[in-house]
Amino acid sequence: MVSLTAKTVAYIDGSAYEMEPGDTILKFVDRHVGRGHVPTLCDAPQLEPYGACRVCSVEIALTADGPRRVVASCHTPLTENLHIFTESKNVRDLRRNIVELVLTDHPLDCLTCEVNGNCELQTVAAKVGIRKVRYPEGKNHLDRTKDLSHPYMTSDLSKCINCSRCVRACDEVQGQMVLSMHGRGFNARIIKGLDTSFAESDCVSCGACAQACPTSAISDVHQSKAIEATDSTRTVCTYCGVGCNLEVKTKGNEVLGITAPVGAEVNNAHTCLKGRYAFKFYNHPDRLRKPLVRYNGHFEEVSWDEAYDYIAKRLGEIKTQHGPDAIAGISSARCTNEENYLMQKFIRAVIGTNNIDCCARVCHSPTAFGMQKSFGTGAATNSVVDLQYTDCILIIGANPTEGHPVTGAKIKQRLMKGVTGIVIDPRRIELVPYAKHHLQLRPGTNVALLNMFAYYIWEAGLVDREFIEKRCENWADFENGLRSLDLDELERIHGVDREQVKAAALDYARAEAAMEFHGLGVTEHSQGAKTVMLIANLAMMTGNIGRPGCGVNPLRGQNNVQGAADMGCQPHQGAGYMPVDDPQWHETYEKFYGMPVSDEIGYKIPQMFEAAREGKLKALWLMGEDVVQTDPNSEAVKEAMNALDFLVVQEIFMTETAQYADVVLPAASFLEKSGTFTNAERRVQRVQAAVEPLPGTKPDGQILVEIMNRMGYPQPDYTPEGMLAEIAQIVPFFKGATWDGLGDNGKQWPIQEGNVGTAIMHVGQFKRGLGKFHFFPFRESEELVAHGKEFPFILTTGRLLEHYNCGTMTRRTGNGRIVTKDVLAVNPADAARKGIEDGDHVRIVSARGEVILEAQVTDEVKPGVVFTTFHFPEHLVNNVTSDVHCDDTLCPEYKITAVDIEKVLDEPGRQVHSSRIVPAEVFAK
Amino acid sequence: MILKANFSVMALEIPSTLEQEIDERITHYPVSKRSAVLPVLHALQHHFGYISEEAVEWTAKKLDLLPIKVLEVVTFYPGFRQYAPGKYHIRVCRTLSCAMAGSFDLMDSLCQAAKIDRSGVNHHHPIAVSEDGKYSIEFAECLASCGTGPVCMVNDDFHEKVEDAAALLGQYRD
Repeated sequence: MVSLTAKTVAYIDGSAYEMEPGDTILKFVDRHVGRGHVPTLCDAPQLEPYGACRVCSVEIALTADGPRRVVASCHTPLTENLHIFTESKNVRDLRRNIVELVLTDHPLDCLTCEVNGNCELQTVAAKVGIRKVRYPEGKNHLDRTKDLSHPYMTSDLSKCINCSRCVRACDEVQGQMVLSMHGRGFNARIIKGLDTSFAESDCVSCGACAQACPTSAISDVHQSKAIEATDSTRTVCTYCGVGCNLEVKTKGNEVLGITAPVGAEVNNAHTCLKGRYAFKFYNHPDRLRKPLVRYNGHFEEVSWDEAYDYIAKRLGEIKTQHGPDAIAGISSARCTNEENYLMQKFIRAVIGTNNIDCCARVCHSPTAFGMQKSFGTGAATNSVVDLQYTDCILIIGANPTEGHPVTGAKIKQRLMKGVTGIVIDPRRIELVPYAKHHLQLRPGTNVALLNMFAYYIWEAGLVDREFIEKRCENWADFENGLRSLDLDELERIHGVDREQVKAAALDYARAEAAMEFHGLGVTEHSQGAKTVMLIANLAMMTGNIGRPGCGVNPLRGQNNVQGAADMGCQPHQGAGYMPVDDPQWHETYEKFYGMPVSDEIGYKIPQMFEAAREGKLKALWLMGEDVVQTDPNSEAVKEAMNALDFLVVQEIFMTETAQYADVVLPAASFLEKSGTFTNAERRVQRVQAAVEPLPGTKPDGQILVEIMNRMGYPQPDYTPEGMLAEIAQIVPFFKGATWDGLGDNGKQWPIQEGNVGTAIMHVGQFKRGLGKFHFFPFRESEELVAHGKEFPFILTTGRLLEHYNCGTMTRRTGNGRIVTKDVLAVNPADAARKGIEDGDHVRIVSARGEVILEAQVTDEVKPGVVFTTFHFPEHLVNNVTSDVHCDDTLCPEYKITAVDIEKVLDEPGRQVHSSRIVPAEVFAK
Repeated sequence: MILKANFSVMALEIPSTLEQEIDERITHYPVSKRSAVLPVLHALQHHFGYISEEAVEWTAKKLDLLPIKVLEVVTFYPGFRQYAPGKYHIRVCRTLSCAMAGSFDLMDSLCQAAKIDRSGVNHHHPIAVSEDGKYSIEFAECLASCGTGPVCMVNDDFHEKVEDAAALLGQYRD
């Protein structure tokens, strides 16, 4: 209730309540009286109003005793001083009759239905007071057959009430548009694709339809809507950097299903098939359950105590004999902030070296480096919600619908609504048909293309002079650089028509707010960090910084790759990005840790391997990282692993790398641990254990605390609250963060006192003071200079929606049955020239090795370019990839390898695709 | 699974005059090509006699839509046929005046004369086709000649006061 003097009110059953802009009658009633007060079947909070079922009918009148009429409240806009009657006899009768009619064509088998107790039709029927169905039995659809064709999605359309929620979820939430209503009237029914099954349709199994379905007409094999689970835990997904919130349903110590919470700021009721369905790896029979120590060349199962003692002894010996710098650690971007913090603290304070790095090295280290140089902070400037406020979306070297599906779906939705899209990518990615511009450049020429892009903005006089003068420096140098460009040369290099580049550049510059996203297609190049700085230039020269709907926004690959770097898992910067070789910060760290720490910059990951091969590095500690399979030039990595005296691996599965270990420590998965992950938009979110760690395993943080204590450092026991409190004392941008204060939706750093987050960075002023322009000329990759003549094709790599990295987790779930192999995409012209047909085996040869993949002939790639994914390491794609690195950060150039391709004639008995990894469900049967 | 982006259109031979006609119709909808879906489907049905799956995909590609968005329109309107009618398609008016003037009897006698079995007809498959594929028949709503019932149309020809089914069919033998 509000006072009647308030500006705008409307009345619900005689009482006045305050209106909000954009209210529909139903939204208004839901907010003030509670969701469910007015029943509905076709409305769902994550969907646009639809008005199909009319169950939400209410009576409205202009005055309290004026004439009334009935409207569907869900799609009727609220007007000032409207009188709404939610419970008149008229509307109650109407609702009851509608539901009664729905029930004439619904199987009344509630007791044995999977959603019994959580069925919206059941609830609404009870709510409107159905006691019997007065209509005689007539024609119905109760004999419709179930669709059980898909590894995850199921449908039983005999339970369908034609509310269209699933169709709208597929259209409005995911944007896949696989579902539709076929026919009309009594014949209306839901179809998938052109009337096919889930498995044969283009369904990406995000599960948005199943979650939206009010009955069990569309569901999933985990029966996620069943109420069998006794507990529910809100946590954060462990896959990509989007950071979807998940609701994990458990019974006892078993995970039954996962749903996406309605109202979650990151992913309101949406997530992808990895987050929602690919969790069965967590109790897969392959999980490691005992510490293993290699004695005399063989692994033996030992107790935790024995493993710790052995590690402490061996590390102690190596440290004494060769010094602390002979030891290194690689942390994991899949682990929590707290665990990453502990890992670097263990290496720095207990071992005494700065040889600590994490997998950000092989993905977004150029982003962190480049954005620090330009802006002062190596993190996304804006938030994903800014997509609502932007007029132009520039996507460079990223394939968000595959790699970051929820953000990708949001981008797709905006592009479908008419926002200008610019895709700079060598491949025709899924977003291309929705984008206005596609600049399909030759791989490895980002610098040439972005220089031309900037040139046209400058030439057209669309530069924001005021912003540059007030907030930036080094413009003159950059302008001189632009002036010196040879456009003919650039056009020849990147291979895109200059008029196309110009049109896109002008659209970017003219947009009121233009937002940039980039991925590994920017960073995993020899000029990776330089490309990032050029992107920063574009944002600065057009004033697209510090406002809603703009900025530079890396799509971080892993769930916590932002956090791993924030926590100091880098050899040159400690927790909070302070330089370790700066005397003042060095002193701060020493004081804080209470131990002497090194002030020399340590090894980056590739340097660690090199040092191991040279015998300078003796021991390596790996937390959740399968470097043998995922780092480039695998043979060289294996050589490094063999050269080590002592290798400790914390893992959940026996990975290829773990096979080389001296000690393997069985860790716990994200479902079994608590802490925080930081997503790509700097959002620090709470991860909460849904189940106890499997017997014999421990969360990584617990392992680190125990070994630190075993090696004489008094680290207090691991609690998420306690660890976050310790981090908040040393990491400046975590200063105000507390476990309780992070709340359900987390906070975006910098977090000020009182858990006040920051949605948009560099408002008014850059973190480094003035934003700095940099100019770099294009330089051809050494790989192509050295081998391009002999190996005339460019192999580039990327990923698929269904799998995550080398598939250690996803391939042990049903996803492993959806996508079963990597294939090589070859342009039809090249295929014809080389006599290659769809499905042929193709040998790919580089200067380092060769692999064989199945060909997929497609014009998705340009002539001269071939593409593959890297989810099936048994194909050994990393045997051919180059170990050329980013000049500034040593990030490997995975995106470019000079190769040649040839058709492989049939070799009987050849097993191209062999795998030891089997999806979990196979065991369950 | 990599290549989800574009669907391919199966063979559908569209004469250039038809495509020109369709392109011209699309220009009537400058705000959104999507709005041209009905006129395009009408043109295709007029030419092919029905809307095949290929025609659905062709229309989708033409209008930058997903095929499913065209299929839902096709299935919504019983006026769009999803299978081929006969060479001569007969539409018999069933609205009140014609019904009272004997159009249901006319339907029966036409079916008998043309050897058409209408037992499988329903709301979504309103057409029945003769075994030899020469004739097809369906009921139509008012054909706007209530004073001269029963009336029917054979392809684009209009026939009033039809009494002799065999004689009518006799005009359409070849």
